[in-house]
Amino acid sequence: MLPDIEGACPFVEDSFSRFLSQSNMYGLCQAGEQELLAATLKGKVVCFRYQDLQQKIRPVAKEVQFTYIPVDAEIVSIDAFNKSHPSRGLVVGITFIKEGDKATPFLNIYCDYEPGSEFNLESIAQSCLNLELKYTPFQLYHTEVQCKDGCSETVFLLSGNDQCIHLYKENASLHQFEEQPVERLFPELQYLPSNVLWLDMLSIPGGRRLSAFGCQNGCVGLSLVKQEAPEVLQSWRLQQDSPISTVLLFPLYTHQTSNNTEEQAGGYNLLVTSTIEMAVVYRDVEECGMSKPCCLAESDQCDAVLCALVIDLDFDGQKEVLLGTYGQELLCYKFQQPMTGVAGDFQLLWRRSFKSPLLSVIYLDLTGDGLKELAVLTLKGLHILQHSLCSTAELVLQRLSSRAAALTAPTRGSTPPPTEQREQEEELKQGQEQEETREEQSVSTT
Amino acid sequence: MRSLSFVQRISLDFTGSLFPHAICLGDADNDSLNELVVGDTSGKLFVYKNDDSKPWITRTCVGMLTCVGVGDLCHKGKNFVVAVGAEGWFHAFDLTAAGGKGSDSSSQHEGLLWDEPKPCFTQHIPANTKVILISDIDGDGRCELVVGYTDRVVRAFRWEESADSSDLGSGQLVLLKKWLLEGQVDSLSVNPGPEGLPELMVSQPGCGYAILLCSWTQEGAPENAEEESTVPPTGENPSRDVILHLTSGRIHNKNVSTHLIGSIRRGSKDDSSKCGLFALCTLDGTLKLMDSTEQLLWSVQVDHQLFALQKLDVTGDGREEVVACAWDGQTYIIDHNRTVVRFQFDENVNAFCAGQYTCKEGRNSPCLVYVSFNHKIYIYWKVELERMEPTNLIRVLEDKPQYRHLLQQLGVDPNDTEAVRKMIGDVLYGKTQNPPRTPPDLSPEH
Repeated sequence: MLPDIEGACPFVEDSFSRFLSQSNMYGLCQAGEQELLAATLKGKVVCFRYQDLQQKIRPVAKEVQFTYIPVDAEIVSIDAFNKSHPSRGLVVGITFIKEGDKATPFLNIYCDYEPGSEFNLESIAQSCLNLELKYTPFQLYHTEVQCKDGCSETVFLLSGNDQCIHLYKENASLHQFEEQPVERLFPELQYLPSNVLWLDMLSIPGGRRLSAFGCQNGCVGLSLVKQEAPEVLQSWRLQQDSPISTVLLFPLYTHQTSNNTEEQAGGYNLLVTSTIEMAVVYRDVEECGMSKPCCLAESDQCDAVLCALVIDLDFDGQKEVLLGTYGQELLCYKFQQPMTGVAGDFQLLWRRSFKSPLLSVIYLDLTGDGLKELAVLTLKGLHILQHSLCSTAELVLQRLSSRAAALTAPTRGSTPPPTEQREQEEELKQGQEQEETREEQSVSTT
Repeated sequence: MRSLSFVQRISLDFTGSLFPHAICLGDADNDSLNELVVGDTSGKLFVYKNDDSKPWITRTCVGMLTCVGVGDLCHKGKNFVVAVGAEGWFHAFDLTAAGGKGSDSSSQHEGLLWDEPKPCFTQHIPANTKVILISDIDGDGRCELVVGYTDRVVRAFRWEESADSSDLGSGQLVLLKKWLLEGQVDSLSVNPGPEGLPELMVSQPGCGYAILLCSWTQEGAPENAEEESTVPPTGENPSRDVILHLTSGRIHNKNVSTHLIGSIRRGSKDDSSKCGLFALCTLDGTLKLMDSTEQLLWSVQVDHQLFALQKLDVTGDGREEVVACAWDGQTYIIDHNRTVVRFQFDENVNAFCAGQYTCKEGRNSPCLVYVSFNHKIYIYWKVELERMEPTNLIRVLEDKPQYRHLLQQLGVDPNDTEAVRKMIGDVLYGKTQNPPRTPPDLSPEH
């Protein structure tokens, strides 16, 4: 067991939806901006969202009847994406194994081409492309690729027990998805050493992408690829001692600017979680490959790490690492800046216990307020954790007022002292009040 | 219906079996922090303190303990722990100084029961006890003991002692009155009446309740005497002074077991209204909140067998929520506006109580206590919610006075939800104005 940690989890649970059967680590995905799809083993898919009703919001978990999933099917993985611009529509992929005399795996791809219902989950669930597979499917992943004509397209990548990753791409003329040779778009995904359990890709400036995969035999592969006329620029391999549960590529700092040429401070990192060993963050991977490991201490103390997420959950612009473990713990690590003589490292910030093992985590805005929630899929159901609204509201007000102050006093620099700011606000308020009274007067005179 | 999963819990060892009223939370040792008092069917009384899974204090009583209580029964300004057996043996313990002795309890052998500290006081009262209440029922500012019996009788006792001695041994319980009811009494409670004076309420089958009049108050209060010219002698005419109320609504079973809890705090805001709030629940799943003018505030029907009813302030706003627990562990927390939060305890429940308890951190926190059937008592501690209803950040911000003004200053229409959402997302996750604490120069030089 881990020692008690000072820091407390900044999230509070907002709802818990119990599922009738269990799910797995590939069983949760985001569908659209404010909805989640969770697949359970017994062939059921639940759509979770917050409903806005009579000035109140309430969580709703509703089963969606995806067609062509037999009753005796066991769902393996689910994924969804919005088609890349200029195409429109939501695409949902579900892999399952049909039980029976001979277990047969399938990939079902759902999407609706009817104008007006491209985003309607109910009607999407009725239009299915049913593909029989020759391998047992694992993770279903999607990523955006650059096509030759300069536009981009989102494709499915599905790993299987045949030591291959399969590419499913939409055939625009036929209006349906079909399997295409993976090496044509992803040369780095050929000749894999073992079955891939987790895959992750990240587009980086300069028309390049980083691509990483973690294997059943403990192998981690990382490649730097030129996107156009794909070409592997550099590639690294590393062998660990136990199956790799997730790999995740991320920049440490959030800079959501349209200006992609801006240099990412601190470079890119690769998080590798394993089922037995400690989780490791490899720093500056596009420069150094996997030569700069940084261990997440004590991450091997709560059974296998099954899911991971890197998000900025304290709104300071620097991302934190979240690990969900089979030992029913959610662990949060924060990067501590290097000091003189001490290299920077990730330190355990807080942890939170759950009632059952954690399988998957997603951070998205479910409540439609700009603030994201943490969705945690456990063996028993779906937990929605919300940031403490009182303290976040304070932070928003503080940042709004400093923005407003920067706007009203552009010559005095962007951050005037707080006292001055308050005075300004008061002046403004008074001004507004005077205006209001004037208005009232004018109303009364007319 | 919103449901949550609480996870912060401790488990206590408890090998005996118990009656549903032989458990309570209270300040047993007068240190202003609450303990858990449990009595079992073999006459053992256990007091649990903090997060220790072993009892802090064990005492032996005569007979099967059916009910326990903590209160200032003897008007000495300190709490006594009270345990009553089915055979009618009443025990009172002063545990104020027990802390020191408790630490070396390991040296006391099981065989040397006579070495164990004796109760301060024992007395035989009529047998077949079922439920007790220690509270001021007649408005004189001093606590009485009310005992409910399995033979539909309720008796009230007062502690009286000879004037010359301060020793507990010189006092005794004196019967004040006996009431005979038509149906089984499952709970006893006190609730402020329409005039703000305490009224003794007992539950009656079929979602009913009865108010028991304390006729002895009229003896000493001549101004009330004219209401009833012939005051019956104390302890006689038991069926008098019982005012039966049957609440309206769909009651499927007139004999269904019913529980009641009164004096539910309304919170500081509307303390002006004197009349008290009380709640009723039945085994067939009816829950009602009423005030003492018999006005129904809400009624909820659930499909779980409710067998325990408590009150607990989980939001920390001074208003107490109604907490009802079913045999299968389903627990409902309902506020005065009928907002429901559900929690599923994953086992069948033998006995349940809710209240303040000091588990960790050296302070009382709201707790839910479940006695399971597998020799464990589970205490969920810090059962605290920011609010009962799910909400989002925008709604919290709308309540802040400067919020709309700040948005307007920044050129965002506060009524345009999409723009506001974008603004908040940008403020929290966008390129922050608050740069990381240290310069983002992480060039890996060392």
